[in-house]
Amino acid sequence: MQAYINSVSLISPQLTHDGSFLTHPLVNELACVMNCVEPVYKEYINPVALRRMSHVVKLGLAASAICMRQLPDVRPEAVIIGSGLACLSDLEKFTRLVEEYKEETLPPIPFINSAHNTVAAQIAMQHKLTGYNITYCHHFLSFESALRDAFMCLSEDMQNVLVGGIDERTSDNFHIYNIAGFWRKEPVNNLDLFKGSYPGTLNGEGAAFFILSNEKSDGSLACVTGVHTLLLPNSTIEDVNQELEVFLKKHSLSKEDIDLFILGRNGSNVYDSLYGQFEEEIPQSAHIAYYKHLCGEYMTSSSFAMWVASNVLSSQSLPDILTFRRGSRQDFHRVLIYNQALGKEHAFILLERA
Amino acid sequence: MKEEELIEKLKAEIIEQLSLEDITPADIDADAPLFVEGLGLDSIDAIELTHLLDRNYGIKLEDPKARREVLASVRSMAQLIAKQGK
Repeated sequence: MQAYINSVSLISPQLTHDGSFLTHPLVNELACVMNCVEPVYKEYINPVALRRMSHVVKLGLAASAICMRQLPDVRPEAVIIGSGLACLSDLEKFTRLVEEYKEETLPPIPFINSAHNTVAAQIAMQHKLTGYNITYCHHFLSFESALRDAFMCLSEDMQNVLVGGIDERTSDNFHIYNIAGFWRKEPVNNLDLFKGSYPGTLNGEGAAFFILSNEKSDGSLACVTGVHTLLLPNSTIEDVNQELEVFLKKHSLSKEDIDLFILGRNGSNVYDSLYGQFEEEIPQSAHIAYYKHLCGEYMTSSSFAMWVASNVLSSQSLPDILTFRRGSRQDFHRVLIYNQALGKEHAFILLERA
Repeated sequence: MKEEELIEKLKAEIIEQLSLEDITPADIDADAPLFVEGLGLDSIDAIELTHLLDRNYGIKLEDPKARREVLASVRSMAQLIAKQGK
């Protein structure tokens, strides 16, 4: 199966929505969080509807609109979203109001927006896309679950599907993960995220959308050829390597065939050791890139990595800001994204040049 | 509080409650209909305004007919608050 990426968009803590990210990467001066650089929403969303939308809904609608504007003649037959937290901030607000109003009648908007599929539903309404519509909330494997569903849709009778990965920072979620030691205790400059050895990482957010098609077009940026997930508590590097070998073998490939590995290292010494062991077995000629110093950690950050991969494959260049180790390969034919969380949720996404 | 002062206060509260970002109190005509015409509000906004009256002034609008009359304009809301508000 091949899913051609015919359009992409990304709203992130970098200037990715207007294309100036690679020339102007932003430095997040001494913080424990990374917030999205937001576009002017009124350019993408009806202002009357805008006033009732929460942050994550605005991110999703604007990012999907940017993606769809690049292919005005294409009408996606499905909207498939991955979101680890979905509209959790509205749910947090709504549950607080239940307490505040002593379980009497509540203001309706946080309740309306608190459903997990709100973003996908709003996209459908905004663009009048009346087909298949779903959101996968599968923790750190949410985007990959959406991607896998998109593959199935394209392998049946659909030609174009809109796939997205979206998550926002929320105060309650930050607090809960903070108790678990998931975030940095001391503020850090994001470009120094991988320096030193500290527990915790930066809390980020983002919204990436892709129009995937079963047909190649002149504007195809890259091609997604495979996605694989592994849920295994206390997994070892042997488990990961074995799973990767099987995954690559299904595509008649080995690690030697991969030109660029994009890894989800997040700067926390609690979980990064697995990436360190993974890197030791990457062929020396291959390139290695990191991306979470630019977007922070969030449950669908692999969609940021897929945006990076599609740009590298279409431009045939790897920006220095992403490069951890520059290999000797001249061309980028295949990219493998490896992301893992908590040492138990692992995902591989394989992309090829279109 | 005089009725005109109450109207100005209420306008600011409506703007905040309904997230009317581009509207200022001066843009709202106290006598213009709030729904369909005027600010062009809808049924969800009506629930939000009912809440505003309950939370800020302790006024419960339970009769649908009375609710329609009270929420007709900013002035009609202000007049009810002056009469019944806590």
